[in-house]
Amino acid sequence: MEVTFKIWRQDGSEDKGALQSYEVDGLSEDMSFLEALDHLNEQLVLKGEEVIAFEYDCREGICGQCGVFINGRAHGPHDNMTTCQLHMRSFENGSTIVVEPWRAASFPVIKDLIIDRSAFDRIIEHGAYISAKTGTAPEANAIPIPKPVADAAMDAAACIGCGACVATCKNSSAALFTAAKINHLNKLPQGKAEQHRRVIGMTDQMKEEGFGSCTFTGACEVECPEGISITNIAEMNFRFIKAKIFG
Amino acid sequence: MRINPLFFRKTILAGTGLFLCIFLIVHLSANCILLLPEDMAREMYNAYSKTLRDSPIIKAVAYLLYLSILFHVIYAILITIGNRKSKPQKYEVNNARENSTWTSQNMGLIGTMILLFIIVHLANFWARIKLGMGESPGIDAMGNIDVYQVTYSLFQNIYYVIFYTVLMIPLGLHLNHGLKSGFMTLGFYHKNGLRTLAKVSLIYAAIMAIGFGIIPFIVYFK
Amino acid sequence: MSMQLNSKIPEGRLEDKWRNYQLHAQLINPANKKKLNVIVVGSGLSGAGAAATLAELGYDVQCFCYQDSARRAHSVAAQGGINAAKNYQHDGDSVWRMFYDTLKGGDFRSREANVYRLAELSAPLIDHYVQQGVPFAREYGGVLVNRSFGGVQVQRTFYARGQTGQQLLLAAYSQLYKMVRAKKVKMYPRSEMMDLVVVDGKAKGIIVRDLVTGRLKRYAADAVVLATGGYSRVFRLSTLAIGCNGSAIWKAHKRGAYFAAPSFTQIHPTALPQTSEAQSKLTLMSESLRNDGRIWVPLQKDDPRKANEIPETERDYYLERRYPSFGNLAPRDIASRAAKERIDTGYGVGRLKNAVYLDFKHAIGKFGLETIKDRYGNLFNMYKKITGIDAYQEPMQISPAAHFSMGGLWVDYELMTTIPGLYAVGECNFSDHGANRLGANSLLQASIDGYFVLPNTINNYLVNALKEEHTTTDHPEFARAESEVEEHIRRILSVNGTKTVDHFHRELGKIMWQECAMSRNKPGLEDAIRKIEMLKREFWRDVKVTGAGDKMNPELEKAYRLADFIELGILMCTDALEREESCGAHFREEYQTEDGEAVRNDDQYSYVSAWEYAEGRFELHKEDLEFENIKPTVRSYK
Repeated sequence: MEVTFKIWRQDGSEDKGALQSYEVDGLSEDMSFLEALDHLNEQLVLKGEEVIAFEYDCREGICGQCGVFINGRAHGPHDNMTTCQLHMRSFENGSTIVVEPWRAASFPVIKDLIIDRSAFDRIIEHGAYISAKTGTAPEANAIPIPKPVADAAMDAAACIGCGACVATCKNSSAALFTAAKINHLNKLPQGKAEQHRRVIGMTDQMKEEGFGSCTFTGACEVECPEGISITNIAEMNFRFIKAKIFG
Repeated sequence: MRINPLFFRKTILAGTGLFLCIFLIVHLSANCILLLPEDMAREMYNAYSKTLRDSPIIKAVAYLLYLSILFHVIYAILITIGNRKSKPQKYEVNNARENSTWTSQNMGLIGTMILLFIIVHLANFWARIKLGMGESPGIDAMGNIDVYQVTYSLFQNIYYVIFYTVLMIPLGLHLNHGLKSGFMTLGFYHKNGLRTLAKVSLIYAAIMAIGFGIIPFIVYFK
Repeated sequence: MSMQLNSKIPEGRLEDKWRNYQLHAQLINPANKKKLNVIVVGSGLSGAGAAATLAELGYDVQCFCYQDSARRAHSVAAQGGINAAKNYQHDGDSVWRMFYDTLKGGDFRSREANVYRLAELSAPLIDHYVQQGVPFAREYGGVLVNRSFGGVQVQRTFYARGQTGQQLLLAAYSQLYKMVRAKKVKMYPRSEMMDLVVVDGKAKGIIVRDLVTGRLKRYAADAVVLATGGYSRVFRLSTLAIGCNGSAIWKAHKRGAYFAAPSFTQIHPTALPQTSEAQSKLTLMSESLRNDGRIWVPLQKDDPRKANEIPETERDYYLERRYPSFGNLAPRDIASRAAKERIDTGYGVGRLKNAVYLDFKHAIGKFGLETIKDRYGNLFNMYKKITGIDAYQEPMQISPAAHFSMGGLWVDYELMTTIPGLYAVGECNFSDHGANRLGANSLLQASIDGYFVLPNTINNYLVNALKEEHTTTDHPEFARAESEVEEHIRRILSVNGTKTVDHFHRELGKIMWQECAMSRNKPGLEDAIRKIEMLKREFWRDVKVTGAGDKMNPELEKAYRLADFIELGILMCTDALEREESCGAHFREEYQTEDGEAVRNDDQYSYVSAWEYAEGRFELHKEDLEFENIKPTVRSYK
């Protein structure tokens, strides 16, 4: 299999950057997309060129470190999938594949396809926890949690923090990411004590980081590898108003 | 209390938007009078206009309406500016159509078209009747200002009719997305409720767009 | 330099040891804890748990990880669950039974006292995670659910769908960032430990490479905790994240920390098979699938028919056949070896004939499609994303893959290595799993080490550090270590040969997988050592790494990690060669029964091997294992 990659190359955050073309052959349909980039990098090394910097770690769709814009879609042409789960069988032989880094003011490019997502960590820092020290927990079954509540919390908690929601959003809104975490913790009885602080703290930080506001295009839930529903954002809005009134 | 602009602006936008949605229902109901036989329509339409002009409550509501439009526009602009700052660099290739509707991606553009319409619309009616600009309207048999005649004569011009009708398409798109989005912005998150809301939005938007869009045509051919 | 290994097992009955230890451990007053600085390398369950808890206790903590965020650590990928002796299912579970299961699962090659502590602390750990907001699976009545896992006949595994590791890690990460916010932890992502700094025989700091700028930095501390995970990427193809590496513990080993049981590597039976040479990793399918899935191969060699066309009478459910009492839930080492046996004798399925079937037909028939979807939906989706096959319609194809490192830095009961002040927690140590780890025990061990054990043992060492002067990064040892790292990087970049890093990694992987994985033998291991030594020479003569050292350079990162893997590979083979018995995951072909079961040799090998690095050679030390409370038996799952 043979394709042409057009890949964003940018040597550091100060560099302007541009798309560069690479014709790559010797690929197979069973290769993952990232393996195809590995293959390209090996060829670049043999030619004495610097490799393309791109992110990955677990390569099984759970760590959230990989993620690039492929042919105009976050994580590539399929819905609800990470970049590492994408395989070359999803592309036509001979096709051109445009690869760009996530674009958002809050996610500056570090090099080539690698961006800085530390803004997410700082949102987490501002309340995405239950303040209980190690050793202070009551017996696990002491507070029953109905299955539907536990399941709904799990649905929201599944977020892998990849940033596809921000990348695909025309406003670079981090609403889905922030909402998922808020709703996960605020639904659980253990999270109630700090519920209002959490909502205000995390949403304030979301603003501080320069993310845009949500206009409900719905693109985020389509690109989210965990399929986290956009209703989470509505729920966050509800919790926000509630926190402003009662918090 | 500190204000988080991400939420505050959207809340204003949603609040004013939903208020305008209610207004449109009233407006369309009134427009339906135009479909009646001419004499009856003239009398009722002009009487209705007079009631509106004379009621102090309606007056207050009217100011609320003007403010709503104004705030809706201002906050939409603020939100758009803020959001553009959040995404300063665009993608070379972007297939947004595969993950979202064109409408949801272009509410600003659609909104601008509607704003343009509103300006023309107000110039045609509101400026003439309330501000007395242009040729002054006549008086009907009951002694009311003949608003009906103003409307009727305007819709004898095919270009106006087409302008009015065509711009009801962006109105429908705007309402369909805006109604859903407005409710979600205000924190409505019930899953089944949202499914129903999506249907209601579609039906509402269709009725408004078709209703407002078809009346000028009917009047034209009357 | 040779020393007697002292495991520091406390006095008293097995049940009282941990309590006795805590009673006699030295305490540090809260005002003084602030003055003590601890470095934690790694931010997975053990690292984040330790860093957060130490910070809560009042220590000044610096935490490092190579990923862009602490939330990426590979604990995130554990799917199935976490064990705890809660006996919620009323099925006869107890701390003692869990202790015994774990010790037996490890084929009696771990310390009684450590394993007992692991089982004892498992119950409060579940309490902890529930309080941190982990959405574990629940019954309709609101209480916690459990499921079974391999090697055990009770239900003691807690889970959050197929994403248990993710949920636990996110809880630990959240707790860590709570302490970052409180300014008690300074977090350094995209920072890789390049060397350990030892001053007067004690661990006093690390040299770190900032992966964004390429700059080397020095960090000093009163104690260093390594929480850097497993090293199965030595096989190249493994279930691990691509960035997982053994470099931190290897550098510590070269600075004097003994490496225990390096060859004990778990091969996981249910991964997706390799499909091409270019493959970079093998995706794990949770072992929990074996609860309801049945493993089989065709009775006929090279059967050309599709799986669904093969009638029941022509299928060989080989695990159920060989191990009737545990069946498909036989422990991992046994299930992997049984699969290898079928594949090697020509019954493998799939395009490369390197897989076996995992079939849900019967489970779907019995429980209904919806139940199976509820239990494993995300795993089936993942399978479809990767292979394009709908496993509700036809069986999955699975294959063994390198997974967990039971081996690691030798640690005593306090989790301290042989270098005073250097601790190892989680997968990077050798502590509780012996020669084979039971499913759902890795999240457990990592968490227990980080949250409960280390924060209660490190004080015993740090109390003395209070009396000493703090070492600063101006100490000549820091300068020496830094210049050695600099020189190492310069050497790699200056080879400018003709072959890529990946080429060498593939070669290393092939040798290791062939000779040092599921079954091993003397000539093979001897040959492997020769080949790896040759590979090492070739690497330093012919590797090509482009880019510079003083800026972001992912190729360079791969290269220096691989350079360490090559050396570690030699030690692993050396260890496997030395141990002339079969135990747990370590299966020496020379030591097996007629029907292919492992033959352990307790008379000669009931010890933990602990290797000392001596200028390119490895010197063996032995920690004898004494079993005072149980009697090692032949591990049978028949």
